[in-house]
Amino acid sequence: MAEYVGQPVLRYDGIGHVTARTRYVDDIQLPGMLYIKVLTSPVHKGIIRHLDTSAAERMPGVAGVITAKDVPGKNAYGLIPDQPVFTPEHIRYKGERIAAVAAVDEDTAMEALEKIKLDIEEQEPVFDPFKAMEPGAPLVRPEGNVWEFNSGKTRKIRFGDVEKGFAEADVIVEGTYTTATNDHAPMEPQVSVAYIDETDRLAIYTVSQDLYFHLGMLTAIFNLPMNKIRYIGGTVGGGFGSKNDIHCDHVAGLMALKIRKPVKYRHTRREETAYTTKRGPWTFYFKDGVKKDGRIIARYVKTVHDTGGYAGMGPYVVDKNSILVAGPYAIPNVWVDGICVFTNKPPCSSMRGFGIINGTAADQLQTARVAEAIGKDPWEVHFINAWREGDLGATQFKVEAAGLIEAMKRAAELAGIELPAHLKAMSSRGR
Amino acid sequence: MKDVLYFAPTELTEALKLLAQYGEKATILAGGTDLVPRINYYELKPEVLVYIGNLGLDYIEQSDGKLVIGAATPTAKIAASPLVAEKAAALAEAARLSASPAIRTAGTIGGNLANASPAADLATPLIALGATVVLVSAKGEREVAVEEFFKGPGETVLQPGELIKEVRVPIKKGKSVFLKLGRRKAMTLSVVNVAVYVEMEKGQRCVDARVALGAMAPVPLRCKKAEGVLQGCVLPMSALEGAEFLDKARIEKAAELAIAESSPIDDQRATAWYRRKAGKVLVARALAAAAGVAI
Amino acid sequence: MKYVLSFNLNGLPVDTLVKATDTLLDVLREKLNVVSPKRGCDNGDCGACTVLVNGEPVRACLTIGLTVAGKNVQTVEGLQQDGKLHPLQRAFHEHYAAQCGFCTPGMLIAAKALLDKNPKPTREQIVEGISGNLCRCGTYVEVVEAIQAVAAGKYKE
Ligand SMILES: Cc1cc2nc3c(=O)[nH]c(=O)nc-3n(C[C@H](O)[C@H](O)[C@H](O)COP(=O)(O)OP(=O)(O)OC[C@H]3O[C@@H](n4cnc5c(N)ncnc54)[C@H](O)[C@@H]3O)c2cc1C
Ligand code: FES
Ligand code: FES
Repeated sequence: MAEYVGQPVLRYDGIGHVTARTRYVDDIQLPGMLYIKVLTSPVHKGIIRHLDTSAAERMPGVAGVITAKDVPGKNAYGLIPDQPVFTPEHIRYKGERIAAVAAVDEDTAMEALEKIKLDIEEQEPVFDPFKAMEPGAPLVRPEGNVWEFNSGKTRKIRFGDVEKGFAEADVIVEGTYTTATNDHAPMEPQVSVAYIDETDRLAIYTVSQDLYFHLGMLTAIFNLPMNKIRYIGGTVGGGFGSKNDIHCDHVAGLMALKIRKPVKYRHTRREETAYTTKRGPWTFYFKDGVKKDGRIIARYVKTVHDTGGYAGMGPYVVDKNSILVAGPYAIPNVWVDGICVFTNKPPCSSMRGFGIINGTAADQLQTARVAEAIGKDPWEVHFINAWREGDLGATQFKVEAAGLIEAMKRAAELAGIELPAHLKAMSSRGR
Repeated sequence: MKDVLYFAPTELTEALKLLAQYGEKATILAGGTDLVPRINYYELKPEVLVYIGNLGLDYIEQSDGKLVIGAATPTAKIAASPLVAEKAAALAEAARLSASPAIRTAGTIGGNLANASPAADLATPLIALGATVVLVSAKGEREVAVEEFFKGPGETVLQPGELIKEVRVPIKKGKSVFLKLGRRKAMTLSVVNVAVYVEMEKGQRCVDARVALGAMAPVPLRCKKAEGVLQGCVLPMSALEGAEFLDKARIEKAAELAIAESSPIDDQRATAWYRRKAGKVLVARALAAAAGVAI
Repeated sequence: MKYVLSFNLNGLPVDTLVKATDTLLDVLREKLNVVSPKRGCDNGDCGACTVLVNGEPVRACLTIGLTVAGKNVQTVEGLQQDGKLHPLQRAFHEHYAAQCGFCTPGMLIAAKALLDKNPKPTREQIVEGISGNLCRCGTYVEVVEAIQAVAAGKYKE
């Protein structure tokens, strides 16, 4: 151990990377391997009235075509398993999978896709989460456009009495903040290679960030016990949360099961950008009750998260955001309502921080606005309100090993900012 | 998939024969940096590819008072050429600021023009410098001013069977300047770009001014109204007679007129509003630098 | 319709059958199993597929395979000489200039192209040299430092 502590350690995979001996999934080529292309919905919302793949199946060079009918198990996956691998009927976003073709090469597979007859009854989509919440809005989902948490249509954080806090405040400060959709854009696009191995197991080379978690979902889709699936992970060319969701393994696996030949399914960069899960967009409304001395004594936050056509990790992202959006402050009265809304857009899911950094961005802007409203430096407001050892957070947890004040002091130092003496004298050990 | 034919002729006459034979079916391939992404993404399904990289059209020469650049000359070569830097500074600068090293080594001047993107970086300096393109086909040769070469996004006066053989840039006495605003410093298409050419008699009276705007209209645009208000103007401290002073106000007037002539659009890179605002500043800066006026 | 394509790959002659629309990236990766150039975008944007053709850096994904007939193509597979790592490879490794490693082959080739022409580049020139290579993991600082170290002669034999 001693030889590592306090020493820079060279990466164990570094030589592989610089010699390009590292093998990524798209680097794998199996003899006789076929290539998959997927037919995706050209419309944002609609119902499939007719789907005929026979002409594609007959095309020379095509080894197989699969649709929702070829899913032996459960045609649903996800942390909340609500998204079909191939949609049998309802289309909830542009780019939703309808059918897949395996052919000798991607050019042939693309040509075969053009031969699939698809008749969709287009319906009016809704893209804006606020419009989606209005009565009479087009229904993205039959059960309604707002996700049901176990606590109802909102994720609730309740601490103290915000109304009392507002009444006692010197100033009320409100603000609305929005963050946009982001794509993870790892350098390696999604890809999967699947084949039936020598022991008749379905083998899949995956870029998954969550092997065991995804393996569970795949067993349900394939209707196979775990010991019949060899799920092989390895080096990933960047994930940033995008590889927390399955994008290719289910399609490749289903195809290999059907045609019993090795297959590769990979996204182009454009497919990757257009159709994979995203960091969902947010709107944050803040209302703070503030004392002239800088103390925030009440904070009300309402958040609206747009999770697209399927849940993905959206509700979980809202959970995490709700817990932390009020910020690392000793605010005695907190009320948070988190709402997760469906729209006709690609599903949103995890991306670096699961909604926490979106909330932090909003909280930081709001706290700066609070400082402005009472004529104080934002540092001052952050220092005064920062959690101290033993404080109680809004979710009733006791803060242990607090270090925010020390971290802020160090950040100021690194940024070349001279803090006033009374802030420098503060400590996380007490108020 | 239909078989795609590929030819890599080594003589110009051979290339022209192939282009005549296949007519509209033929797609000219130079560096491929505009063409191949479209092939990779099935937006373009070529039938016959005629590669023009082996025709010896890769040259930069000076002859008859002109800078002559072969159509298949890579952007990198133009950026690195001392001759271009000296005789056509705006073109050298546009080449230097275009794309990134591995794109510049492949992408060519002919491809940049024939692709007819409204944002093509080499088009504006060539318009400002009064350059022409020489178009050849099996039937013969014609010379067209670069400002008349473009008809719309992706559309030019090129006829089936015709290719750009070279670009001719008249060598003039004045000063040319190219300025580009992108989303980042390198490897970025122009949100707006500007090229100007200004010739000052005795360094004091403007006897020739040309202004071109990129990414501000369906085609790279020459702004004649802006040029008009600069002609004959003299520097404020000049002893020469002149119609008007060439000062900050005049330059701003010219910039305003240039923007008024443009018709930018909103797209993924910027809004029309932003393009107008930024474009005006860029025109003024370029003119000031070329005329030697402080603004 | 397939064409025979012959060229030199890392110093050795190769022949292969290709379609007119196959890119050099398709040829290297899918036909020849030379997988150091990565397919990040097929659109010229990311630089992960950068290789040298007659010593010049190009995007393999934008290069029609048949256009390299008779030319010399170099990839990271050809960087090692006599089993020894190239100075850039050692420097990248020791400067932690590869995180997930997906952009690394393209970065190495861009760096080699730069140093072959300009063995003592300024920091600005290094940044310009790799300006066409995206790294989502954000190793740019380490990549620049690695190239600077090689340029400063720290990785001579
Ligand atoms: C990542 C990236 C960044 C880029 N950045 C920039 C930038 O900053 N600025 C910019 O202006 N451009 C940029 N481009 C676009 C492109 O690189 C240039 O336009 C380049 O000069 C095109 O030349 P080419 O030889 O590659 O053309 P090709 O792709 O070979 O051809 C383009 C078109 O021109 C036709 N053609 C080519 N040569 C001739 C000829 N001699 N006669 C008739 N027709 C011909 C072809 O048939 C085709 O239609 C970028 C491209 C990429 C991929
Ligand atoms: S794959 Fe060639 S530049 Fe991205
Ligand atoms: S190391 Fe991951 S993209 Fe560069």
